Amino acid sequence: MNKTLLVIRREYVTRVRKVSFWVMTILVPILLAVLYAIPIYLAMRPAEKSTVLVVDESGLFGGLDRDDALRSDVRFASSENISYRYCATLDYARRQMDTTSMTCAILYVRSRASGAIPTDACLYYKSDLPPMQVRSDIDRQLQSILRNRLLQAHGISDDEYALITGTKINLRTEDLETGREAFLEVKTALGFVLALLIYVVIFMFGSQVMRGVVEEKSNRIIEVIVCSVKPFQLMMGKVVGIAMVGLTQLLLWVVLTGVALVGIQASNSELFRMATEKHGVTELATKGSEATLQMADAETLGAVPQLVEGIASIDFGVILPAFLFFFVFGYLLYATLFAAAGALSDNDTDTQLFSLPLTVPLLATILCMPAMVGAPSGTLSVVLSIIPLTSPVAMMLRIPFGVPLTQLWWSVALLVLSFPLFTLLAARIYRGSILRYGLLANWRKKKK
Amino acid sequence: MLDVEHISKNFGSYRALNDVCLSVPEGSIFGLLGPNGAGKTTLIRIINRILRPDGGRMLLDGREMTDADVRCIGYLPEERGLYKKMKVGEQAVYLAQLKGLSRREAEERLHRWFAKFEIASWWNRPVEELSKGMQQKVQFIVTVLHEPKLLIFDEPFSGFDPVNATLLKNEILELRQKGATVIFSTHNMASVEELCDTIALINRSQVVLSGKVSDIRHSFGKDLYEAVVDDGQVLQLSLPDGGDPNQLLADLMLSHRIVSFREVLPSMNDIFVATVQKGGAQ
Repeated sequence: MNKTLLVIRREYVTRVRKVSFWVMTILVPILLAVLYAIPIYLAMRPAEKSTVLVVDESGLFGGLDRDDALRSDVRFASSENISYRYCATLDYARRQMDTTSMTCAILYVRSRASGAIPTDACLYYKSDLPPMQVRSDIDRQLQSILRNRLLQAHGISDDEYALITGTKINLRTEDLETGREAFLEVKTALGFVLALLIYVVIFMFGSQVMRGVVEEKSNRIIEVIVCSVKPFQLMMGKVVGIAMVGLTQLLLWVVLTGVALVGIQASNSELFRMATEKHGVTELATKGSEATLQMADAETLGAVPQLVEGIASIDFGVILPAFLFFFVFGYLLYATLFAAAGALSDNDTDTQLFSLPLTVPLLATILCMPAMVGAPSGTLSVVLSIIPLTSPVAMMLRIPFGVPLTQLWWSVALLVLSFPLFTLLAARIYRGSILRYGLLANWRKKKK
Repeated sequence: MLDVEHISKNFGSYRALNDVCLSVPEGSIFGLLGPNGAGKTTLIRIINRILRPDGGRMLLDGREMTDADVRCIGYLPEERGLYKKMKVGEQAVYLAQLKGLSRREAEERLHRWFAKFEIASWWNRPVEELSKGMQQKVQFIVTVLHEPKLLIFDEPFSGFDPVNATLLKNEILELRQKGATVIFSTHNMASVEELCDTIALINRSQVVLSGKVSDIRHSFGKDLYEAVVDDGQVLQLSLPDGGDPNQLLADLMLSHRIVSFREVLPSMNDIFVATVQKGGAQ
């Protein structure tokens, strides 16, 4: 078997056999699946039943007027888990709180001068803070009732209110030639995710190459190996072997995450169906009156297709091959440089020092990301996405926004062409340094 | 078998080897000696083609060496290690495959060697569980496994107990008997006297002494003789310039009954120290 292939095989097999490889491979999809499932489980978890005692001295919230007791738009409405009970005085409510087991808080609204609008209300609790859900429900109903009172006081009908607040101008960003909408938010999010992913995998697997080189140097097997294999073959074998480990792990992450998500959904299909339905219902219910309900309807129904449309507008036929290309070549470029850094060092402190300059271009790109998202076709974005050391991250950030083909080809060509150049440079450093120890210490001594 | 012709090597302004010439006879054990930093390891790395010389050439069997000839060399470096996490057998197979053996051939040979060294039970153990001496045994096997015609051992006995050192010594002698040529670099002069046929002593980047061990010892001899007489007394006798040892013995026999009579030759250790201290070479 070809010697480089033997090295690739060893690097691949020994790494894939490690417990840590499988722990990472399994943990990441589990983590992602849990992150996906937790909010839905939490939303669906049967909430504890709570009772809120309302002491309304202002009379605005249905606490004084007998007629108001029949009007749902100016009183706190109980729901399945939260029930509201009106009490005449704060003292009475306080006594009730001691005797009723499910009572979690007292909502107290002070008396007011006639015609004045109360600006604050107080939620009293005893030892246990009322749940978030309860607090947000009280807040929502307070604002809703107050608004309804104001609408009535100023003689504004629900329809008029809906017209005023519900009328919006939707600012679209469209391509002049294709007429297709830009969906900037979706693309920004996707660009960030892709760029960060490239950054993380390049560093994760690049530093594995460096650690592998240092290991061979520090356990002194290197001299035995370089008698049989040329340093270049050894370096490339290591770089390619670890690249294959990286691709295997990425593939397994994609497959296992998919399986985990499908598994979670399939095992709780009823729950997920309810979650989706309930999500829509709560969104609508929160809006209170009929008028706002119409508005909510429009908003809610509009947002989901917009997201779907946004995702659909993304050209995955370009993004996926581009991701694979920039991952592979970005990794290869950095991995050879990491190998050279590893060859120069023979302990952890040296490793950190020699790898520091390698982190600068990618880290700088990450820091420039907010500016680049602001102007995906600006000079900074274009320059960073063409320079080979920064292009893997910068280009992945830009690609969802659409990149002119000329720039894309320049970026690809420069990255491909720079690979052999950087490899030759790295191989030269590697060859000259793998059998030399204490390089940094000697250099420091000379400097003194 | 191996001819080193006018090899020079510089590292920056430091001259590691200066016009080094030596010849290693086929089927012999050749001692490469020298104090620390003399340039031995650099020369060995050049022979192994890990380093390229700045000048001179290497001839193997009379023709200039190429990269392909590295396959004919087995090298056990002084600073040697193994991958700690890999299993012994798997690692030995990998290193043998790098030397050009097929997987099957490597496994067959390794099982034979492991049985011979009584280490068959280590096959599936990770290297990190082995002691230093145990690891040295594995490294020795890996060095000789592909049956190279030129073997280079740099301090092969370091880390071995006397029992295992003897085992290794016998293996080296057996390999020579089978036709291998051995270059043996060490600071242990007793083992040089015991094993080496010829030597070269490098000091300050140059060969300052070379030839057959017996010739060198004789050339450093100071015409000293030692006689043991019948009452157990040991007599040290110095032969005057141009004197005849036979005449010396005859004179001695007139006054004593002689049990043994031999020339006292300087040890390789004495020769090494004397040569290096004299500061031969640049």
